[in-house]
Amino acid sequence: MKTVDTRGLTCPAPLIKTRQGLVEAAPDEDVEILIDNPTSLSNVKRYLSDNKLPFTIRGEGSLSIVTVRRGEKAELSPNEKEYCTASAEEPAPGGRKTVVAVASDRMGSGDDDLGTKLMLSFFRTLVMLEPAPAAVVFYNTGVKLAMDDSPALEHIRELAEKGTSIFICTTCINHFGIRERLPVGSFSDMYQIVNILRDADHIIRP
Amino acid sequence: MLFDLLTTVETGGCSAKIPPRQLEELLKDMPLPADPRVMVDIATHDDAGVYKINDETALVITTDFFPPMVSDGYEFGLIAAANSISDVYAMGGTPLVALNIMMFPSTRIPMEVYKNILRGGLDKAREAGVSIIGGHTIDDWPPKYGLAVIGTVHPGRVITNAGVREGDELILTKPLGTGIILAGQRMKMITPLQHEHAVSLMKQLNARGAELMQKYGVRGATDITGFGLAGHALRMARGSGVTITIDMKSVPLLEGAYSLADLGCIPGAAFRNLDYTEGGTLFAGDLDYNLKMIAHDAQTSGGLLMAVSPEKSRELLKELHESGYGGAALIGKAIRKREADVVLQ
Repeated sequence: MKTVDTRGLTCPAPLIKTRQGLVEAAPDEDVEILIDNPTSLSNVKRYLSDNKLPFTIRGEGSLSIVTVRRGEKAELSPNEKEYCTASAEEPAPGGRKTVVAVASDRMGSGDDDLGTKLMLSFFRTLVMLEPAPAAVVFYNTGVKLAMDDSPALEHIRELAEKGTSIFICTTCINHFGIRERLPVGSFSDMYQIVNILRDADHIIRP
Repeated sequence: MLFDLLTTVETGGCSAKIPPRQLEELLKDMPLPADPRVMVDIATHDDAGVYKINDETALVITTDFFPPMVSDGYEFGLIAAANSISDVYAMGGTPLVALNIMMFPSTRIPMEVYKNILRGGLDKAREAGVSIIGGHTIDDWPPKYGLAVIGTVHPGRVITNAGVREGDELILTKPLGTGIILAGQRMKMITPLQHEHAVSLMKQLNARGAELMQKYGVRGATDITGFGLAGHALRMARGSGVTITIDMKSVPLLEGAYSLADLGCIPGAAFRNLDYTEGGTLFAGDLDYNLKMIAHDAQTSGGLLMAVSPEKSRELLKELHESGYGGAALIGKAIRKREADVVLQ
């Protein structure tokens, strides 16, 4: 049993500590949270039930003790689950998850026209790869490849249809002001991108 | 710094509002004004009242004040004033004059800070073309500041919560997450750059957004403040008799807001707003929990949420991007009234 003491803290500190405690505890370890202010208690309760984490509460005077029961079904919060599986619904054969990180709209450096051609060719070929990569992450000028007038778009669409997750860096599309010109993929912040790259078994960088 | 204003408060900015559900409950039996010249009152939960003077001119009248959300007095003044004036813009109006509203503990904080707050308010008002022509101060702890603002609008061009039409697309002009970022700042969980970015957006006037709304014939809009995107969308949907769908994945977020929410840095106001919206809101089964909470994050001096006909939306968005609202995005649409007033997906 892990104990998180939030006594004397005000919102949102108790929730932050709760969340931290849940992450630090072993997956099947119960977590006990000590809370002494009613607002934080109500917010923590709401947070736990929204994230489908079973808990019990007992009170001792002004102190409430919330115990998160994880002994039987250790369930991560939905978004944690999403992060852990963001790269693939199920691992590719051999258990290897391939993530393609596209940092530029050109492949290689030296000749720009050549680089553009090569990148298009890369995507045309990537579609044929078996099994399909778990995810493709676009950042920096790479995001332009997913734009509505990009010749690579049809191949990216094809990948998405084959089950590859397409992630596009939000900061980058804001930087280029092209948000409304991206017909595929989900927008991701750096936190999600870092998680996807971390969880990859190997990374291809064209 | 002369004095850190954040030491006076536990919650700041629009987080300090009374819970919306409680407020609606309290106000529901209050008689509404009977004067036919009152064009907009609290019946539609709007941002400001509108009073018709003649066929050419209506007055837009609003007030807002709150405790500090930043440490520095001058900066607090700038943000509080931008936020107060914003309600006139949200109605499509042009602000003209304002009065200072100040509560200040004269024996506990250096009076220099008082001057700095007023100076910030004055500078922001000047930027908006508003003359501050008076005010009122009482001794109180913690300090609070804001403006009562009067503007004008053509009676035929008033923009309200009730003006959204089925088929309209919704544009949000500023990224979300100021409440979370300010809480993160308090908890020392964010970088100075992330804080600076949030502050710069809170200081930004919605003036140009209001001009563009008139140019593009927008009739339904609101500014996103204490009740969060979801709360204000709900008021708009109910006011207009439509259902509003919002695609949370396309909502621009302040850098750092998502990670903070994921770490549990979710201010209490977001939970209060959730209490308010859940009666009328359908949350898609696969809606990310953090995005759901960000949709309920109380914004201070947030952006405009405007409903525009689909054939004009791209052009309006483009002009917004060119007018200093780089984070503006198309985030949803208004559809025929369904059971839920708002669908968050």
